[in-house]
Amino acid sequence: MADSDEDFVLSSSGDDRPKARGAGGGGGGGGGAAGSSRRSTRKSKRADGAPAPGATKREKWEDIQRSWDNVVEGADGSIAGTVIGLLEATKRKRLLRDTTPIQRGIIRHLVLILDLSSAMLEKDLRPTRFLLTLRYARDFVTEYFEQNPISQLSIIGMHDGLALRISDMGGNPADHLTALQEKAFTVEPKGASSLQNALEMGRAELFHTPTHGTREILLIFGALSSSDPGDIHDTINSLIEDRIQVRIVGLAAQVAVCRELVMKTNDGDDSAYGVILDEGHYRELMMAATTPPVTKTEEKSVPSLLMMGFPSRTVEKHESLCSCHSNLTKGGYICPRCTAKVCFLPTECPCCGLTLILSTHLARSYHHLFPLKNWVEVPWSEAHTSTHCWSCQSPFPTNQSQTSSIKIKIRNPSTTAATATASRSNGATTTSTAPKNDHQQQQQQPPQPPTQRYACTDCKTHFCIDCDIFTHESLHNCPGCQSLSEERVKARANMWPPSIGDGTADAAGEPTSSSMRTQVAEATKMLENSKIAPGSSMEVEN
Amino acid sequence: MDKVDGTEHYNFKAPADLATLQVIILDTNPLAWATFEKSSSLSFPAALSQLLIFANAHLAFSQSNRCAVIANHIDGVHFLSPADPGTDHRDPGEADLTPEDLKEIANQNASKYRVFRLLEDEVRASYRRLIKNTTPEAVMACPNSSYLAGALSAALTYINRICFGGTGGRSSGVPGDEKSKVNSAGGKVDETGRTMHAKILVVSVTPDPANQYIPVMNSIFAAQRLKVPIDVCKLRDSTVFLQQAADATGGVYMEPEHPQGLIQYLMMGFLPDHLARQSLILPTKVDVDFRAACFCHKKVLDIGFVCSVCLSIFCEPPQGAVCSTCQVKLDVTSLENIGKPVVLPPKKKKKKKAIDSLPESGVASAAESPVPTE
Amino acid sequence: MNSQAMKSFEHLEGLSEAIFKRLYQQPATALAVFRRMLPNLAKTFVMAMLFNPDPVPVSSLEAFVRPDQNRLKEEAFGKLRQLYIVTERQGTFALDATFKVELRKALTGGGSPGSFGLPCDTEDKNRVDISFLDRYAAEQWESILHFMVGNETQSSQRPSEGVVRLLLHGKLMEQNRASGTVITQLGFSFLLQEVNSQVWTLLLLYLDMAEQLRMDPVDILHFLFLLGSLELGQDYDMKSLTPTQKGMLEDLRDYGIVYQRKSSSRRFYPTRLATGLTSEIRSLRSPAATLANATPGNDENGFLIIETNYHSPLQIAVLNLFARLISRFPNLVTARITRESIRQAIGKGITAEQIIDYMTANAHPQLRKNSPVLPPTVVDQIRLWQIEGERMKVTSGYLFKEFATNAEFNAVCKYADDIGVLVWIDKNKGMLFVSKHEQIADYIRKRAQSNR
Repeated sequence: MADSDEDFVLSSSGDDRPKARGAGGGGGGGGGAAGSSRRSTRKSKRADGAPAPGATKREKWEDIQRSWDNVVEGADGSIAGTVIGLLEATKRKRLLRDTTPIQRGIIRHLVLILDLSSAMLEKDLRPTRFLLTLRYARDFVTEYFEQNPISQLSIIGMHDGLALRISDMGGNPADHLTALQEKAFTVEPKGASSLQNALEMGRAELFHTPTHGTREILLIFGALSSSDPGDIHDTINSLIEDRIQVRIVGLAAQVAVCRELVMKTNDGDDSAYGVILDEGHYRELMMAATTPPVTKTEEKSVPSLLMMGFPSRTVEKHESLCSCHSNLTKGGYICPRCTAKVCFLPTECPCCGLTLILSTHLARSYHHLFPLKNWVEVPWSEAHTSTHCWSCQSPFPTNQSQTSSIKIKIRNPSTTAATATASRSNGATTTSTAPKNDHQQQQQQPPQPPTQRYACTDCKTHFCIDCDIFTHESLHNCPGCQSLSEERVKARANMWPPSIGDGTADAAGEPTSSSMRTQVAEATKMLENSKIAPGSSMEVEN
Repeated sequence: MDKVDGTEHYNFKAPADLATLQVIILDTNPLAWATFEKSSSLSFPAALSQLLIFANAHLAFSQSNRCAVIANHIDGVHFLSPADPGTDHRDPGEADLTPEDLKEIANQNASKYRVFRLLEDEVRASYRRLIKNTTPEAVMACPNSSYLAGALSAALTYINRICFGGTGGRSSGVPGDEKSKVNSAGGKVDETGRTMHAKILVVSVTPDPANQYIPVMNSIFAAQRLKVPIDVCKLRDSTVFLQQAADATGGVYMEPEHPQGLIQYLMMGFLPDHLARQSLILPTKVDVDFRAACFCHKKVLDIGFVCSVCLSIFCEPPQGAVCSTCQVKLDVTSLENIGKPVVLPPKKKKKKKAIDSLPESGVASAAESPVPTE
Repeated sequence: MNSQAMKSFEHLEGLSEAIFKRLYQQPATALAVFRRMLPNLAKTFVMAMLFNPDPVPVSSLEAFVRPDQNRLKEEAFGKLRQLYIVTERQGTFALDATFKVELRKALTGGGSPGSFGLPCDTEDKNRVDISFLDRYAAEQWESILHFMVGNETQSSQRPSEGVVRLLLHGKLMEQNRASGTVITQLGFSFLLQEVNSQVWTLLLLYLDMAEQLRMDPVDILHFLFLLGSLELGQDYDMKSLTPTQKGMLEDLRDYGIVYQRKSSSRRFYPTRLATGLTSEIRSLRSPAATLANATPGNDENGFLIIETNYHSPLQIAVLNLFARLISRFPNLVTARITRESIRQAIGKGITAEQIIDYMTANAHPQLRKNSPVLPPTVVDQIRLWQIEGERMKVTSGYLFKEFATNAEFNAVCKYADDIGVLVWIDKNKGMLFVSKHEQIADYIRKRAQSNR
């Protein structure tokens, strides 16, 4: 009885038979006898996520979350400080992501497969799953082309056991949006969904794509079953052969075959399969696919040199026909190789096949290759050096007692950031170590309230949470690093150890921070040399 | 029946009703201005006065309009107005004034509209502070330094706070959120959380900072997302970055030919706000050069080769087929045939046999094109 | 709302050219007129021409505007011409010289000292702060409104004779032999307006009266616009005012627009009512700005429960005009909008628009989160009740019947239609209803004569 209980608790997909688990390679446990494999996978699963081994196991249903514990009154009896802290923590949770510069697939070919079966008429998402999905699909198309201007997209629908082609592989967002409007919005969800047909059609779309780009499929699966004409495992194998990576967003519950599909095409990593919790989470999961995927191994995509044209825009005195739609237009872009006129970029020249882009399109993808480092939360010991956010001039709380004196008990984001940055770069700044101490002290003392200041590790400027989010999501440059010369950064660094800074630029403090500075310099060097970092030669003088 | 028609309830206040925040980014590199003055006889104080009149004109449009000024100085970016709160607020120019001077100033102040006066005083005081802390050696050390990317980033974060309440123009995307689109102050808000329009004016006398290409492009895309036009008044040294900035964000790019008349250029070309721009045709540069420069020789290219990993651009396939920035071996097999004409290999002569096997040359002649008989 | 304030300014548009030319001699006035009375495109044109020394040819301006926006362009130019800011001559447009110079002065600060108010250079022994000024303004204004509504039992005194004369002159109240001064229909709609518009309405009445009192209207307008640009909380010297303006100060004190400790003191403080004169921002929703306001609750068709936190008897009295008060607690007043109460209000001359505007303007902050602010069913229902009273429309005129022949009938009909007096026609019965009969009679007579 105990054995089966444990099985029930620990395995997420309860139907999995040990063989399947072994084959899927879930946590590193190999094949072997059923019993021992079960035990080994169990152990590995425990090591993955559960608390300290040896502690009394808690059943999942016993592990309740008391949300009212999070709301505690501050010293002055109001919960305003706690509310601010909670809000900031939610905002920050979204931000923290891996920011090592690593190789990503920039030229992407993605097939978006939408579920148009009768399961989408459920009203658990407002107004219906179907309408919400289409709305998000529209946003997805816009966002995808904004983030990846030189990539291509194709849309397929699963309707009534068949696969419906909504739009072909193309690089113009307007085409996809009109196709969605005409074909997807007008169709009534009906029948069952067929994974195999859709995947085969997706495979066909991706067949002709060149090897230097990525091949991806994003599948939105709302049903709980699939009615296929043949063996889905054959399709899965052919997908693996064609090096196509599949991501799935499940709307209802986790389905075993989806999990297998994702794990097999992503080399055993099932993080690409997400099941939604609510509408916000759904949108997050979908938009996560707009970020270029990390290139896993060398063989996945062959880096090659592509020939591209950079046309200029011309305005003509008289109208002439364009080569792409045969419309009469007065201006457009002239292909440098064959002088054909095209209306929109990026596109392939219809006459000679040369890819035509603007340099701005390439520039849009640079921020994926050089991501902005995360900022760390500033502890109260250094909080006095700034009274306002540098870039937007919004005031910070100056007094510790103004904010709530009890910290929130959710996973402290700053410590994860701190540990992450500390492990990656010698995060030498004291800001990264101080929160870690705080966290350890949390068990003994009352924890620190949020200072609402976030500092860039390079230039030590303090920013507010809104600037943090804005910079990391839209702007991708640190305003401090861009706006302050070396002397000013030094002067700022010279303000530590804490002294009453009067803020003028010529405050001559002792250079006690020289060791810090050298450490920061080392850290930056290490970052630049880290794994396939297309580094500083992009920027001539750094 | 029209009287009972309640549909007007459901209309939003048009976004055109919102006020505008004007952010001015001003180059304050003393050496660049001195060089400019020699060629055009427009000195920096005169230009500053004209800019302040422009700012006053912007504020005159409406009581809710606002203005911010950012200085792009040799050692980085400084906020001139609203002044950086962390710094010392004493105006260095006031230290050595006599009481009569103060009275005179007070009298002068009486003839200025208070709102205009506050802005002017703050800008001038901040600028005086800035110059006081600048040494000639520092200026000579970096004659053409320009922190354009930093200024744009600071401007955009400020706009994000003032005009969008920090939301960055994102709609949350969750349906049902659109209903509560009134901010806490009861002010008007449209569907992206915007409470004010914004525009940026860049007045520049320094050339493009080549090493800031990526941050400048990032700022341009962020401005595009927030729908903030970037207007450019380039007094000297034509640039490519700022042309692209103006073009991509829908702003106005002008290189005034007669800088002494700067005020007229400002009033006519850069002052109209979002609503007016929908009705006006403003002078701007149309033929923007979007071509890229190669990374190896900095030549401007029409056709280039792009590494698929790091997107660096080359004018010809690099030596040894290794990308110089990311050190990745590149597959150039598909490019080997470039420049060579496509020629089919000659076919073996099997045709003669086939023809010989045919009977009579009559048929052969029938296979040829018919010849018209007389 | 802005629309009501704009109406006050529209009144100014009717002034004569001479007055405008004199009006533009002060930078503060030029700035105020520019800011408040011009549409956006017109402002852009003015600024574009401001620093141009020569007149601008019409063709340049046409090239400046997009071809499909001609309507806006014409509207802008029409307004500019109406206010005598722009003159057209030989195919060029030129800004009025005085306006140009004064607006430039406003922008550059080159005006004469005191053109934007001369602050006092000596310290005030009895300095007052902003909260005092707000209270003072609130008291004075409310005493006027209370007086209008008839609640004289309050501690506030009766407003001065000048005020009463003004109200009578403007037909906001009238002399009734039986019960003294009584509020009129116009007065009711005045009560429902927003504060800024109320202030302007009174000031415009003052302007009207000024001619009788032999005060120069231009001086008055100058002072009013100057007040609009002053800073709250700063005391100003009376040195720079003309005698007319000094005389105005006393009256303005009664309205609560400026504060002067005594009539003889040298300095005066503008209150929030003054600084709000040229602003579009609704700085005060009601004189006592801190009060919370109406929150409509759930609604059945036609019946509405409003919860208010009104303290002020004034606002209760206003509410009483169009809603029926049910209960009254120390911090809560409930009232119900019913068919009868609305009909009563309409009978007194208040329109549904005014009621709706008033409720929207005074809505509770929690209610403001809705978009639109008031539930649409409520708004529609009030409008419906209003037009219930408009079911019949009376037109007086003359009925023609019993025509001799059909041909004659048709001819007369056509003639009536041509001259535009035809109201109703019934072909089967041969009857015709027109609003004016003389021309028809003449026509028939002429036909009869010509037929003979």
